[in-house]
Amino acid sequence: MKLGIVMMRHPPTRLSPIMPGVVELLIEWGAEVETIYPEERVTGLSTLDVRNDLYVLKSGSELGLSLGGALHAAGAATLNPYPVAAMCRDKVIATRILQRAGIPTPETYATAQPGELAPLLDDGPLVVKPYRGTQGRGVHVVWDSDQLDGLSIGDGLIFAQRYHEPDGRDRKIYCIGGHIFGVKRVWPARTYADKLGQPFTITPELRDIALGCGRAFGIEVYGLDVIESGGRPIVVDISIFPGFKGVPDAALRLADYIYAAGRRVLSGEPAIPAAAPNAEGELIA
Amino acid sequence: MKAVVFGPGRIGCGLAGEAFGAAGWELVFVARDRATVANLNRNGRYRVRLVDGRTAHERIVERVRAVPTSAAERVAAEVASADVVATAVGARNLPDVARALARGLAQRTAPVNVLAFENLASAGGDLQAGVNQGLCRGVRTRDGFSSVLVTRAVTHRMGDPARDELTFLGDPCEELVVSGPSLVGSLPKVPGLRVVDDLDAWFARKLYVFSAGHATTAYLGYLKGYTYIHAAIRDPEIRSAVIAAMIEGQRGLAQRYGAEVAGTTRDLDAIVKRFENAALDDLVSRVARDARRKLGASDRLVGAARLAEAAGVVPAQLALAATGALCFSDPTEPLGAVRDEIEARGLARTLADVSALGPGDPLARRVARVWRLLGREWTSDSPLVSLDELSRSPQRAPRIANEIAGLA
Repeated sequence: MKLGIVMMRHPPTRLSPIMPGVVELLIEWGAEVETIYPEERVTGLSTLDVRNDLYVLKSGSELGLSLGGALHAAGAATLNPYPVAAMCRDKVIATRILQRAGIPTPETYATAQPGELAPLLDDGPLVVKPYRGTQGRGVHVVWDSDQLDGLSIGDGLIFAQRYHEPDGRDRKIYCIGGHIFGVKRVWPARTYADKLGQPFTITPELRDIALGCGRAFGIEVYGLDVIESGGRPIVVDISIFPGFKGVPDAALRLADYIYAAGRRVLSGEPAIPAAAPNAEGELIA
Repeated sequence: MKAVVFGPGRIGCGLAGEAFGAAGWELVFVARDRATVANLNRNGRYRVRLVDGRTAHERIVERVRAVPTSAAERVAAEVASADVVATAVGARNLPDVARALARGLAQRTAPVNVLAFENLASAGGDLQAGVNQGLCRGVRTRDGFSSVLVTRAVTHRMGDPARDELTFLGDPCEELVVSGPSLVGSLPKVPGLRVVDDLDAWFARKLYVFSAGHATTAYLGYLKGYTYIHAAIRDPEIRSAVIAAMIEGQRGLAQRYGAEVAGTTRDLDAIVKRFENAALDDLVSRVARDARRKLGASDRLVGAARLAEAAGVVPAQLALAATGALCFSDPTEPLGAVRDEIEARGLARTLADVSALGPGDPLARRVARVWRLLGREWTSDSPLVSLDELSRSPQRAPRIANEIAGLA
């Protein structure tokens, strides 16, 4: 089994032990693993071809995503296919897909002019985020229109969600191969211990929501940011291959899932068994 | 020398045939499937790939041919001229094989040994009784019959019989244990063959140590959401529980059959290494399948727990695994999930029916306690993140903890 994992190297100060553990296990189980760090090399596009049975897009960088798209175009089997990764990366698209699947999300808006958001503040504060942002970077709670003046637009688009006062700590929900794990976390998470959070038992309502998100995109490995406000869970973000911090034995569970996906591909089956039409009959993955 | 093997499946080819082939014998398979018969006759050989997770060896088994079961006279003639006969057809097919065997054995002038590779202690005796029924009234077979205790796992047959040379994938274990008193004459020299006086004890050892450990890995792996046995056994909690379950089984065996049959902690280490063998691609769902049978009163979990209790050992981990088996659900379950029966009839009645455990039985109470805890923590799509709460027991013997620490 040949696996290609598109990764991004983190600075030594940022603890991220899961993927090295995943790679180590897969090699131990007999897989040939090519770790691809696109930022550390020049990739000749004319010679880019599919050398592995299965690819995993772990890196969320622009170059990593583009490389994933190029491999997808060349016919690569991917655990988290490029079209879905690209949609999840764009919060405007991802939120609309979740809404259409009936997932509870905040009222959400997109604009190129910060001032256009001012009337919406009459109904309460907004959370403004970079529409392609990750890891909580660039997230602001806007309470009044004065704050809109100093807002950095970034790459020309403002993504805003209605702010809901959380009942407690944020909920991270992770899915690996149809199995759901919950971690409670303080926000913003500053230390590694903050990021590990504490496991919590998934309620049937959260489970249905979490599995519904996976069905909406046709994927089985993802993470959700959920807040509970007024006793009601609301999904505020989805990420296609998060760090799974706080999930017990995450490296082992991911390696087990990736290995199984590789075996499926070698048997001529789709990498994702759930790659069936989503709730609206569309095959996204 | 010629061996006739009924059933060219994973065990028939991947173990029985491979063992006789390694001894230089000619092999004749008797098969229902015409494509397999044609394949073996066309190629005259097949391959057995033996993998231990780090190395792989491929053996080519040659001088192979096959006869279809429908050619009754030819089958009888092959049996009549065989130097040994083996079966690997599955227990429910033994009556058919016994009828075919009887026809061939009746033509013999000298007795022959029939070895049943069926993973069933009673298979040799069942086959002998079936043959006696198939002979003329008043005639009884003079041939030797023994079940064979096998340790090799042969997990896959690869290749399309219509097109490819067949390859069987298994682990390298070679031990074949047979019953000396029930055989006739001298046994063929076959690598790994071991003759014992009390085969039932050795079957109990396999069932209550190896199979109990395998099942514990599978059912706890299921509760924690793993796909493969080699992944589940890498989970530190599961690994400890599996070793502890096997120690519980070993202690029961030591009391009942003595230390030699019970084995040592080094044996457990070797078993765990086999579970780690990723090259076998052994699925949790495959090992966990048929949970109702595996929960039987004398089967690998409840039977081992009973034996442990008789030796004064609290079977905490075997009870945990048995509760995992109660939870197991899979569309391929032959009689439906035990879990569904519990929902319909309640835990006490289900345990009584499936495992012959009365409501006041300490083992039933232990299973019921874990079942209640699981009911709060577990669903099939929200796996357990820890076994800790379930397996915590003040009665766990310190010696078991020490033995686990030495192995894990």
